[in-house]
Amino acid sequence: MSGPSPIRSVNGVAQLDSSIPLDLAVHASGLTKCFGDRTVVDAVDLTIPRGSVCGFVGPNGAGKTTTIRMLLGLIRPTSGGGTILGGDLANPQSYLHKVGALIESPAFYPQLSGRNNLRALARLGGIDTAIISPILDRVGLLGRSTDLYRSYSLGMKQRLGIAAALLASPELLILDEPTNGLDPAGIVEMRDLIRSLAEDGMTVFVSSHLLAEIEHICDRLIMISDGKTVFQGQVAELRATRSDELILRPEAASSLASLVALVEQAGFVRHVEESSWGVHTVVVEAGTDQAAALNRMAMDAGITLIHISERARSLEEAFFELTGSHSRDVRASHSLGGVR
Amino acid sequence: MIFNAFCSEWVKLRRKTMLLGVFGGLSVAASFFVILLFTQAAAVGPGSADLPSLLVLAQPNGLIHGVDRVVVLLGIVAFGVAAFQIASEYSLGTLRQLLVRQPRRWALLAGKYLGVVSFVVAVVVVASLIAGGVALVMANVRHVPVGAWFSTAGLRDLTGALGELVLATVGFATLGLAVGLFLRSAVFAVIVGFAYLVAIENIVGRVLPATSKWLPGQLLLGVGQGGNATTSFPRALAISGVYLLVVALLTAYTFTRRDVTA
Repeated sequence: MSGPSPIRSVNGVAQLDSSIPLDLAVHASGLTKCFGDRTVVDAVDLTIPRGSVCGFVGPNGAGKTTTIRMLLGLIRPTSGGGTILGGDLANPQSYLHKVGALIESPAFYPQLSGRNNLRALARLGGIDTAIISPILDRVGLLGRSTDLYRSYSLGMKQRLGIAAALLASPELLILDEPTNGLDPAGIVEMRDLIRSLAEDGMTVFVSSHLLAEIEHICDRLIMISDGKTVFQGQVAELRATRSDELILRPEAASSLASLVALVEQAGFVRHVEESSWGVHTVVVEAGTDQAAALNRMAMDAGITLIHISERARSLEEAFFELTGSHSRDVRASHSLGGVR
Repeated sequence: MIFNAFCSEWVKLRRKTMLLGVFGGLSVAASFFVILLFTQAAAVGPGSADLPSLLVLAQPNGLIHGVDRVVVLLGIVAFGVAAFQIASEYSLGTLRQLLVRQPRRWALLAGKYLGVVSFVVAVVVVASLIAGGVALVMANVRHVPVGAWFSTAGLRDLTGALGELVLATVGFATLGLAVGLFLRSAVFAVIVGFAYLVAIENIVGRVLPATSKWLPGQLLLGVGQGGNATTSFPRALAISGVYLLVVALLTAYTFTRRDVTA
């Protein structure tokens, strides 16, 4: 496996390769993993700037966890490579001491207390165990730290997973589906916790199949589908790939056809939607800056509009458009997205 | 690195259920065995191979008769503890956490192995001390003179027997670690191990007696007993040593190369 490393050897002397920016926490290219004949991850590229909160989105089975495991040295890539915090992906010991990770569901020893679970990991990593209490306090488990892990609720188990990830005072925090199985209150707690960690300057790479979660937490997004990268960039860039929509509703239902013709004539892309209570509206691909012009045009044509509103494009729509799929594994989770 | 992994393993090993279950259970079992040995022994005569008389027990090597008979029990416990400790990392999914904190897999495996081995050796020592104490009490009850036990020859025989017992226990632990790592299921590994050591080797040995001196469980038994009717101690030590070296190399290779998907 050969991966791009910012350090290359020229005549036995390590030199910086200027083609790889040093302000990247993760820079991987062509990451591929095959299990037998099945390609689970297919030439995935990852670029995560330092200090960013980057979401990793895709339906269940898209290859998110396998990609994360490759970043953590748990799975050997079939091909491709890269650098993490300046260390070569092929040499996980060069960077994992600066990485914290929660991979899938939290996994601990049920017969040990939360504190002893962390102690076992701290001892293994050569980490001062004095750090355990402050970390338990940060994730809100200090009061229950001596209870057996098996007595913890799912939310507490997830928080202990975050605590384990924080043991190494990481520069890069990798969280794989950290809100899996949590109730709405737990999701809000987890979101707040991730936000507070990001505010400390940590680079956070968080995978989820809940787009609304990612939308609320992340400033950057990587989307994969069927093991392939379908988008990589700022969240705002993704939204900008398709214009927002204006919803126009004429006062008289009989004006609907005239309104449609008028909008088409003006060169807008449109479609008609019918609400569940039978009201027809014309949906026009246009931003709010076009609202006044559309209203004037309608008025000039003798059509009175009783409703003009903007509908922001959701990440879910963007995802489906990019992947050409309608997998409900990727959910906008609007109800949860509204929780604050 | 290895020391860190060793210390980490001991955080898991020293949990109450493990300490009470293994140390307590084996100490009670060994003590019970000593009590049976003394209460059932005939006062005079040579006794049998399975049940020496009190006269034989009073000899300098009297205590060894008890030690030799607990090899199988200790071996099974060592095998089970080792298999459980590694296989449960897979079945609980904790291995991925461990490998993030210690990506040098050989160091993790070596530390874990040393942790498990030190645990089972400690079990042997503690169980032997307690059983020895019980033997002193029982000797007093059955009026067996114990002076010969503490003679130079007696102590030499006893330490030799305990050393052989420790070697065999380490061997069983090595096998357990390998089986646990390959099967990746704690329950399955323990069941398969017990079935093989207790049932399959015995059946194969009875059907094809010539194979007994090549079966790993029988060889480790020979090591623990300082040689027996099947094999001499040097031969058992040499062949089982080769077996264990091959097993250890295969285990280390598999552990360092295999993708962790659990």
